[in-house]
Amino acid sequence: MSIRITHEDIADLCKGSVFLATGGGGDPYVSQILVEKIVEKHGPVDLVSLADVPDDAFVVAIGEVGAPSVSLEQLPIGTECLDVVDRFEAWVGKKITHLVSFEVGGANSVIPLIAATTKKIPLIDGDGMARALPEAQMMTFAIEGVRPTPAVAVDYTGGAVYFDTEDTSIYERQIRNIAMAMGGMVFTAESPMTAAEARRAVVPGTISFALELGRMLTANFGNSVHVEKPLRELFDRSDYGILKHLYTGKIVDINRKVVGGFDVGEAIVESLGNDMPPLTLAIKNEFLVATVGDKVVASVPDLITIVDHETSSPINAERIHYGQRVTVFGIGCPPHYRTERALKVVAPRAFGFDFDYRPIESL
Amino acid sequence: MRIGIDVGGTHTDAVILDDQTVMASTKVLTSQNVKDGVINALDEVLGESGIDCHAIDAVMIGTTQFTNAVVQRRELAPTAIIRIALPSGEMIPPMLDWPDDIADELGRHIYMIHGGQTYDGFPIAPLQDNEIDAAADDIVAKGVRLVAVVGVFSPSDPTQEQYVAARIKARHPELRVTLSHSIGRMGILERENAALLNASLLPLADKVVSSFASALQERDIECPFYISQNDGTLMSADFAAEFPALTFASGPTNSLRGASLLTQLDNAVVVDIGGTTSDIGVLQDGFPRQSNIAIEVGGVRTNFRMPDIQAIGLGGGSLVKDGGATIGPQSVGYRLVEDGLVFGGDTLTATDVLVASGKALIGDKARVADLDATVIKTATDKMHSIIDNGIDQMKSSRDPVPVILVGGGAVLVSESLKSAAEIHRPEHSGVANAIGAANAQVGAERERIVSYRSVPRDEVIEEISSLLTADLIRAGADPKTVRIADIEETAISYMADDSTKIRVKLVGDLLLSKSGER
Repeated sequence: MSIRITHEDIADLCKGSVFLATGGGGDPYVSQILVEKIVEKHGPVDLVSLADVPDDAFVVAIGEVGAPSVSLEQLPIGTECLDVVDRFEAWVGKKITHLVSFEVGGANSVIPLIAATTKKIPLIDGDGMARALPEAQMMTFAIEGVRPTPAVAVDYTGGAVYFDTEDTSIYERQIRNIAMAMGGMVFTAESPMTAAEARRAVVPGTISFALELGRMLTANFGNSVHVEKPLRELFDRSDYGILKHLYTGKIVDINRKVVGGFDVGEAIVESLGNDMPPLTLAIKNEFLVATVGDKVVASVPDLITIVDHETSSPINAERIHYGQRVTVFGIGCPPHYRTERALKVVAPRAFGFDFDYRPIESL
Repeated sequence: MRIGIDVGGTHTDAVILDDQTVMASTKVLTSQNVKDGVINALDEVLGESGIDCHAIDAVMIGTTQFTNAVVQRRELAPTAIIRIALPSGEMIPPMLDWPDDIADELGRHIYMIHGGQTYDGFPIAPLQDNEIDAAADDIVAKGVRLVAVVGVFSPSDPTQEQYVAARIKARHPELRVTLSHSIGRMGILERENAALLNASLLPLADKVVSSFASALQERDIECPFYISQNDGTLMSADFAAEFPALTFASGPTNSLRGASLLTQLDNAVVVDIGGTTSDIGVLQDGFPRQSNIAIEVGGVRTNFRMPDIQAIGLGGGSLVKDGGATIGPQSVGYRLVEDGLVFGGDTLTATDVLVASGKALIGDKARVADLDATVIKTATDKMHSIIDNGIDQMKSSRDPVPVILVGGGAVLVSESLKSAAEIHRPEHSGVANAIGAANAQVGAERERIVSYRSVPRDEVIEEISSLLTADLIRAGADPKTVRIADIEETAISYMADDSTKIRVKLVGDLLLSKSGER
């Protein structure tokens, strides 16, 4: 079944993508109003399922890399996405047949729609993270051995930089520094894939899932006690497999500082009746580990999402403050992140924690 | 002595203060032309106290006129926007997400030109004089006289905005300009919106400010007067005429400031209980804690400095249902005096429960004599727990805090509150807004993204502070009393470790023309 995305779906898609961003991803407001306008003008986008991608396809990932707070001040031109596709094709000397988002969590869930609707390039229903994660080598594309380059980055004034690097960790350092030098935010086309590679490396169905999730949250706007059941049913039916209520309580402490270019910190949630020990969240841009007492109740690469208890709206890490009544959910990650190779780069130890990953359903 | 006036949509309140002593207070109806209501209020307080109008050293006025104009889409003048950003932002033009009715009211006179700079000060594109001149000529040809100018990262470096303003005013002296960096903070769309709303309010600002001036003049009050802004500080009348949008949300701010002055508490939670809702705000060092989310004014996103207010659906007119287990958010509102049981009506309200509990004598107590004791107990507990939860969500640490109750519904709190270390119920709380206005300070703040690697932190703070001191003196502050009120630093994720967003706020006492005050 093909899923069609219209301009009226963009707000819900953004809402679902903030839920899947596990605290990261930034405020998608600017992207939302830009994409709404472009999709309204150029028409709806049909998502292509991975199974329908032909064998001779040439798949390229696109999205934005950089500091979300900068993009609130310096707006994109709006055509970078098209420019990056043109430049990529001209450089590689080959037409892109299919586009894919590299990150469903946050604004990158909607950015590829700009090129898809304008250039009529089919967009794959899937992405390279199934959530948000801080670094390029954590993408499923890299984990499955897809070369990150040739890649092109275009800045907000139309300038471009071309990359040709074998190793994704090195590419991550390059693109991070180039983004900073080019105004803080860049659009990229990267990780070119064959159909066979895409079928192995892309997490399927995540874009349509984010839309379905956003629609569900809009339809069930209200207390998280009531939204939990439909949420659980939705995740049960998906590749995420499971959604668990971890905690309901009040934020009693939040501290963050920047370490190595990332927001690193901790939030503490206390139960309303004081009948449970507090829940502690470790943060590196995204929520990484949730602990109750000395027991880990969820950890990366599984998802940890905080929603406002009264409205069930997902809350970004930068918007957490003392006194908020919140509900914390833990969500299983798709099978792509449960392989030995994946866990090497996304398990708690990859983030410096001294314990092994245990799937959320076993905790 | 000072006079504080609060010009609301319905009532105009006035107080005369001798230092912190309330010499007289009144509440009169706001008039259509604003001026007559102010004159009536002045006559009441001057008459009541017998104070000579020449003994007044300053008049401070808080007003919701400008907020109401935006919300009701009235008296907004056609306004053009010049955005200095191209090629960036090309497909996200100004007013893209505005409600149609207010965008039409301003006229969608949109001009996008090349320029602006990146977060680290590098030019996005060179400014082009011919683009600036063409925009100015077209604006004038369309008969528009008001212009908002916004540039990318102008809060860090306003030079380009200033250059454009100077150039278009030299070419067409009849143009009036609002520069975005002077009214908003980081976040170009919100700052642009603020500048647009402000520019479109300029003609109304002239009218309102001059009607304040002529009301004072007609009553022989010759001292300077000031307008209060949304962060609890004051603007001179001239400054207010240039920045009317800075008055948005000054009402709740003055109420919080007034509560602080009436109790002499600098750190407390203030609960203003009305007929339908209770507004909960937080005092930090004598000023309202500010909200950190984008605030919509009349459906337009802005990033004004607004107090962080939580409105909860509990007031004196709240409906009591389910045997007392449900109270509000529905309310009989101003019809309480007809519909409430104790007033002869047939609706059970929070006020009726209070009277039945014997904690207050309002209306006819006999009419609630039959109310079930369990209902009274359940409802009383519920009201207290609603307020308790609201306070708990707003306070900034887990320890109990001092709580100040103001507003007509303050009597609803008849027992202790878990979240409250102590409860204060100040006298004169009905005119807390006017008292807050009378005591406001002048303040100014600026924000920029800096790298401490290239400029040391001390130098950054010193440079911003000297700009702010100049802002404050322009706004009427006594240079001797200017002090740093707040420094807020936010490290920027993903960028170099020493990229920091710094916001500095300075406040100072008003320089009064006569001695003996402050």
